[in-house]
Amino acid sequence: MNTKSYFFQSFAIVALAFVAFIGFKQILPDKIFSDSKVDSKNVLIDSLLLESVAKDSLSLKSDSIEESERRLGEQKIVYDASEGIEFPSETFDNYKGYQYLISFYEKLYQLEQNPQRHVRIAYYGDSMTDGDLIVQDVRNNYQDRFGGNGVGFVSITSESAASRGSVKATYSKNWKTQSYLNVKRPASPFGVNGHVFFANDQTNPTWVQYEAGLPKHTTTLDNPTLFYGRSSKRGNVNFIIGKDTLKKSLTPNNLVNTLKVTSGSIKAFKANFIHADSIPIYGFNFDNGIGVHVDNFSQRGNSGLPISMFDASVMQAFDNNLKYDLIVLHYGTNVLNYGTKNYFWYEKGMTKTVNKIKESFPGVSILIVSTADKSTKYDLEMKTDSAVVPLMKAQKKYALETESGFVNLYTLMGGDGSMVKWVDESPAKANKDYTHFNQRGAKAIGNLLYSQLNNGYEQYKILRQKRETGVRPKAIRKPKADSVSVEKDSVNE
Amino acid sequence: MITIDNINNWFVQNFGAITIEQVKSWFIYNPDEKLLFNTGLFLGLFLVFYFVYGFLRKTFYLRLTYVILFSLFFYYKSSGIYFLLLLLSSVVDYGLSQIIYKETKVATKKVYLVISVILNLGLLGYFKYMNFMIGTYNDMFNGHFKFHDIFLPVGISFYTFQSMSYIIEIYREEIKPTKNYIEYLFFVSFFPQLVAGPIVRAKDFLPQIYQKLNLTRQDVNNALFLIIGGLIKKTVISNYISINFVDRVFDTPLNYTSFENLMASYGYAIQIYCDFSGYSDMAIGIALLLGFKLPANFRTPYKSTSITDFWRRWHISLSTWLKDFLYISIGGNREGSFAGFLFPSLFFFGLLLWGITSYNTSIIPLIIASISIVLFCLSFLLSSKKKQTLVTNLNLFTTMLLGGLWHGAGAQFIVWGALHGLALAVHKIFLEFFPSRKDGKSNFLWRFFSILITFHFVVFCWIFFRARDFETALQVINNIGQLTFEPQNWKAIVLGYKNVFLLMLFGYVWHFLPEVITDKMKLVFDKTPLLIKAIILGFVYWIVYATAVAGSQPFIYFQF
Repeated sequence: MNTKSYFFQSFAIVALAFVAFIGFKQILPDKIFSDSKVDSKNVLIDSLLLESVAKDSLSLKSDSIEESERRLGEQKIVYDASEGIEFPSETFDNYKGYQYLISFYEKLYQLEQNPQRHVRIAYYGDSMTDGDLIVQDVRNNYQDRFGGNGVGFVSITSESAASRGSVKATYSKNWKTQSYLNVKRPASPFGVNGHVFFANDQTNPTWVQYEAGLPKHTTTLDNPTLFYGRSSKRGNVNFIIGKDTLKKSLTPNNLVNTLKVTSGSIKAFKANFIHADSIPIYGFNFDNGIGVHVDNFSQRGNSGLPISMFDASVMQAFDNNLKYDLIVLHYGTNVLNYGTKNYFWYEKGMTKTVNKIKESFPGVSILIVSTADKSTKYDLEMKTDSAVVPLMKAQKKYALETESGFVNLYTLMGGDGSMVKWVDESPAKANKDYTHFNQRGAKAIGNLLYSQLNNGYEQYKILRQKRETGVRPKAIRKPKADSVSVEKDSVNE
Repeated sequence: MITIDNINNWFVQNFGAITIEQVKSWFIYNPDEKLLFNTGLFLGLFLVFYFVYGFLRKTFYLRLTYVILFSLFFYYKSSGIYFLLLLLSSVVDYGLSQIIYKETKVATKKVYLVISVILNLGLLGYFKYMNFMIGTYNDMFNGHFKFHDIFLPVGISFYTFQSMSYIIEIYREEIKPTKNYIEYLFFVSFFPQLVAGPIVRAKDFLPQIYQKLNLTRQDVNNALFLIIGGLIKKTVISNYISINFVDRVFDTPLNYTSFENLMASYGYAIQIYCDFSGYSDMAIGIALLLGFKLPANFRTPYKSTSITDFWRRWHISLSTWLKDFLYISIGGNREGSFAGFLFPSLFFFGLLLWGITSYNTSIIPLIIASISIVLFCLSFLLSSKKKQTLVTNLNLFTTMLLGGLWHGAGAQFIVWGALHGLALAVHKIFLEFFPSRKDGKSNFLWRFFSILITFHFVVFCWIFFRARDFETALQVINNIGQLTFEPQNWKAIVLGYKNVFLLMLFGYVWHFLPEVITDKMKLVFDKTPLLIKAIILGFVYWIVYATAVAGSQPFIYFQF
């Protein structure tokens, strides 16, 4: 047999195939799998976001954006002193806005002086903070330094309850849930967590059960307290702690009502709701009353826009009970995938959200956390999605305009191409969707976030020190007034 | 008129401008861009290599040296400086094998054999298991040993085993050593199977070196058919479903519904098969183009009717290697040995310890531990030849445990091996009570359920194999356990991941296609003219390219 012909024939086939490939590449489309749009009512998508995107498609992108952005980036931001404190000026590019966190920092300072006080943070986020990722690490850092026990406010049901380690919540399947994500007119107003739950089942018991988690500071459920809203009908709830059953009635007279399950710390309990139909149930709060407490209000698919639908009077009622000092808004992941790089509409929408927060929680400090890096495949390579930087800039803009602090998660985690590194690193710090962090990565993010916030706090203390030693009489008065209120607080306990 | 400028422009348009930097990058090791068979760079390099190879086909040492140089370059591209390790270990192994061959005293032979086995396994152990051992030690005794910064040289598990087979076969006098080092190095470094198998046995491969190089028309057909199938399996099916679905679910199983977890488990089963067998097929195909016949490595393993059958069809080169060199070395079905007792006892002891220590939190671990021990004991107590079955099962179990560990350093791989080992023992005793019919024929329903059960057992074991750690595996299993019948929701999920599920379906249908049909397809392919074959291959290149550039699907969260 002539072997020569077959060697060169097979070479010819492989080589010809290469030529054929070049041909196919020219005639056939670039991609074999269309990026199919998912349109299913079963997918968690923020309905306000969809509306905003649809409206926005009419507006045109102007060419002058880049030029104006460049000028904005170098612009100096100079602060006016508040409470006699003035942080040094900074550029838009490096904007952090510590100046706008002064009231929060002052509360931390008071807490540091008197460990019996308390500071509360509400952390609103999307799937990035699902399962208490990131937030539990921020909480842990604060509680390590300033004291405090407990996971804070926990909803009745959540898609991510199973993956949460800091508290274990299980619940019956018959809860009726309404979420600000996709319900515009809830049967009763949404709670501070953006949800409202109803135990409407007449035949089967509706229950929720909590068990303390394993991480430190959250190993017990401290002073578990039920939060519920207003209704015309009364209802009953049985708390089962170990072998004891406590029967209590719900008196839904106020906009927001509380019911303490028990004082002190327990490991677990179950709540059975009986004839509680039409009473809006919000969730349980767990805190030991002193130190720092951080509530995780995560909601998959959320863009942050739905917060603008909050009922301010209900939120104020929550605030009267929980006394928030800092609200964190950590969003962006869900607005990256709409093929737009002009985020003016989002800027507008989120400004509304921040204003609603200000109305709902008077005097509170606000912190905007930008989108993290996210990668998309361009040709054959995973790179930072082209929408990330424009979105981050838009977020920075509304942070500045609404006088909010700002954490640039994108640059904090390493900027351009960092998500690819976090995914490929061994051990990996982010998931293969090139969007979400895993436990390890979330911990790193939580620490980065805390250290930036803490950095501002340390600067604040130095500035405050300077003010004390300065000759401004106004500045000296304030701590005295605070120490008075401290005594009051301890009387309340 | 076509001018040079025109050609240049066309070239730039289609391939982009080529800079010196780029050309350099083709030849320099880059840890992020391994030289895999399914990359464009490999295709380009191979075309050039193969063209010259055609001219060298009638030479001997020149050809061997040429292939060795390419192989070493190929290995350098995947592992950088560690190609020197390959060279070093080959020199040592070659030296030892020469000594063993020339030595006449059996005892001295054995000493050298032990030295070589220790050296080979020591090297493999250091690179692959050092950090695992440090971690285990730290966990168990609260130690604080620092992890070593170890780079795992690509394919070390494969070429170590191949090298060992050579020495052991010489020791057993099954083969004669090669005439010189060049021939030996050619065998060890042969690039088609160097980094991911199949593990070629010296006695199958060496004789082919000395034969006159020959390539028939049928060889070319077979090779192309294998390469086409391999490309589709590896780059289209496996890569796409892993990045867009399976990886995500196994990253955070609790964030996904039960149905998604179940589908990810099925998805992983077809993914790992397509990945592994696809790459093997490409290796066999490429070797065939060079005139070397490597044995088949996979024979549609999910069609197995029993777990014993599965191990005759899955990664055949590894299972026969383990059978010949590990299982038989520790006594096979003839006699017990220290190693044969040691590993299973250690394993069951550890299992029991786990059950007892976690008794306070949950009784389930203790139940699992007890059941597996009882099952293992029953597997020989019920047998009519108790003693022999005990020995066989212990040795089999040891083989599976170590075989599991071979796949990676981690407890989950040991568990995976143990599950298979246990299943093999159980299947054996089952056969003793219900022997299969002599004529080999069984009724359709029996066959169907045998395949179904075997397949699901294998999928179950894969969960441990894939999960990051033991805990994640349990999360996946728990989550699947909560599955309820909700066809509406399932439909929504399937539509949400349409491409992924279509590819999975395609993979399974292809896998379970009766042989009659695949043979027919092959026959048709064989008969197509050369040009059409080239076009088909070119089209497959395009599919590979188009899949590779497809962006990953955005994440979706379902609510029900």
